[in-house]
Amino acid sequence: MQTTFPHSAASQNSADAKNAADAIVPHMKILVIEDDLEAAAYMTKAFREAGIVADHASDGDSGLFLGTENTYDVMVIDRMLPRRDGLSVISELRKRGINTPVLILSALGQVDDRVTGLRAGGDDYLPKPYAFSELLARVEVLGRRKGTPEQDMVYRVGDLELDRLSHEVRRTGKEILLQPREFRLLEYLMKNAGQVVTRTMLLENVWDYHFDPQTNVIDVHVSRLRSKIEKDFDKPLLKTIRGAGYMIKDEG
Amino acid sequence: MFARTIQRSRLMFRSTAVRLSALYILLFALCAAFLVFYVTAMSERLLSQQTQQAVQEEVTDIQRSYERGGINLLLRIMERRARQPGANLYVIAAPNGEILAGNVSSVQPGVLEEEGWTDVPFRYEPFAEMGGPRFHLATANVVKLDNGLRIMVGRDLGDPGRFRGIVRRALMVALAIMGLGALVIWFGIGRNALKRIDRMSAASQKIMAGDLSQRLPVGRSGDEFDRLSDSLNAMLGRIERLNEGLRQVSDNIAHDLKTPLTRLRNKAADALDDNREDIRRNALEGIIGESDQLIRTFNALLMISRVEAGSIAAEMSEVDLSAISADSAELYEPAAEEAGLALTTEIEPGLIVNGNRELIGQAIFNLLDNAIKYAAGSPDGPRITVKLARSDGLIRLSVCDNGTGIPPEKRKEVVKRFVRLDESRSKPGTGLGLSLVEAVMELHGGALELSATQDDKPQAPGLTATMVFPAPKL
Repeated sequence: MQTTFPHSAASQNSADAKNAADAIVPHMKILVIEDDLEAAAYMTKAFREAGIVADHASDGDSGLFLGTENTYDVMVIDRMLPRRDGLSVISELRKRGINTPVLILSALGQVDDRVTGLRAGGDDYLPKPYAFSELLARVEVLGRRKGTPEQDMVYRVGDLELDRLSHEVRRTGKEILLQPREFRLLEYLMKNAGQVVTRTMLLENVWDYHFDPQTNVIDVHVSRLRSKIEKDFDKPLLKTIRGAGYMIKDEG
Repeated sequence: MFARTIQRSRLMFRSTAVRLSALYILLFALCAAFLVFYVTAMSERLLSQQTQQAVQEEVTDIQRSYERGGINLLLRIMERRARQPGANLYVIAAPNGEILAGNVSSVQPGVLEEEGWTDVPFRYEPFAEMGGPRFHLATANVVKLDNGLRIMVGRDLGDPGRFRGIVRRALMVALAIMGLGALVIWFGIGRNALKRIDRMSAASQKIMAGDLSQRLPVGRSGDEFDRLSDSLNAMLGRIERLNEGLRQVSDNIAHDLKTPLTRLRNKAADALDDNREDIRRNALEGIIGESDQLIRTFNALLMISRVEAGSIAAEMSEVDLSAISADSAELYEPAAEEAGLALTTEIEPGLIVNGNRELIGQAIFNLLDNAIKYAAGSPDGPRITVKLARSDGLIRLSVCDNGTGIPPEKRKEVVKRFVRLDESRSKPGTGLGLSLVEAVMELHGGALELSATQDDKPQAPGLTATMVFPAPKL
């Protein structure tokens, strides 16, 4: 069950997420532009618990100022802001040559809004209400994006290898046969190795549909994949992060 | 009463119809005036041409007589002609312009000195005129003889003001008739239009007061007013339907969200009362689950109303239905298998419609969710089939199961928001899945059809939910 109620979500998952964040992104600095002060206070606190420093601006103008003056790894921008709306903040930032990844938060949250948000220069989109675990997972993936060389042809996690060119998957040198969709699922998980990937992110990036999968369809796919990559081996790699999603990681 | 009449006429002059007809009448009057003057000028010219011809013939005649019989014959002829009744002018004048003989006592100075036709009508004074104006207008031909004498033959044009007077009178009469006609037309059209507009604004007032079932009056003539009323009525119909939908949604929210909210509240109260850690934790998890369900319901409701309002219509593009169907089946296949169902496909390749991929995908997912939920445990081996085929200009995407199905009399009902059959109340769900599918299909100009998969098996008739799309023209 994916948690959507923010307060409990934080206490429940931040420990897992924190470990992941500490290991991979020890000092991520982000900017949160959100006019709902209560939500913003909760967010900055929860981000801090997950090892992320979050600055906060409560309107579009000051957000644009902070975003221009300082360097951030990720910005989380609400769409509806006083003084200057979120989309205009993003396009202004882009105009000034600031290409920091932006996650758009929106209460509108429908298909068309998503498209307009991404067109305006956003990199990811999350409709309200959202689970904090979902926001955290997406922010970490966005923050990592800069460091992940897209041109890496082989992804490695422990003794698991995925060759993006030949579409071959091996573990301890032994080939594992995957269906095309299972391959893409594993590819996305390994690309974000060490990070929590939510069900919604999987549906988005592997199937290209943008909504909250309300049943266990994704979980069944993941467990099929898991049995293929773990069945004949000792060490588990693909972990279920309770209330959040999945993470592939070599526990070393 | 009187004040009302004044107000009415003031309103009338403000109306577009009256202003337009005033403009037309002005233009028409200008044209009429021009026409009258033109016709007058033309007939005047024709008349003078005829006159000149006759005078020319006479002059030639007289000249010939002079050549034959000299000055004596000339005098005789001139005097004879001058005595005839009629209005012709005959003059014999000395080289210095002095009148020697004829029926004219004086002419405008200078006329006799010039040879040939007078350029413009000139004034002259006839003999022995009793009464009437002293001067007349005339046009004439002056010829110089070889002995220096001049003869003049001309025609009287009458009183200088006469002709112009006739023209002016004709124009006045014409304009008066036109003015009168215009007033009648103004009154007729303006009053009529005003009355109809009054009726329309009265109806609008009622509508604005909140009675959305009111419609504007539509006449039988099918003119501009009727067409306007018709389209305004169509618009009102749409507004009424949207409003009705909105009302229904808020009613539904009031009814169907109160229950889970109450449950949520009770769970929270219980958790607060209980000191045992594990029970508390369970209650909190229950609360989270309950909230998630509520949020899903809200999102689904929001999505349905936005789809129904057509606000996503802008994001339409070519969508490969065959690919979506295959993808969805592939996405749900493991989940179906886990639930003990066999999922098979019969998909015709290359079927494309104009639509919104996300919404169509969401609709199929809803149907597949339902099928998995309700086909599980079917007595003859639970099965789901995803079918896509084109026939008779329609593309049909069906999700067929062999579960308990929906009785025919309840099929209309289950599409409505929050309607769940008694048998399904125990299963998770929002009661909004089919409503969204139907809204999506309406947005795509299609429909959602529900039927039994196998009528011959009353134990497990199953449900076939078909998304019917209009096939794009090839």
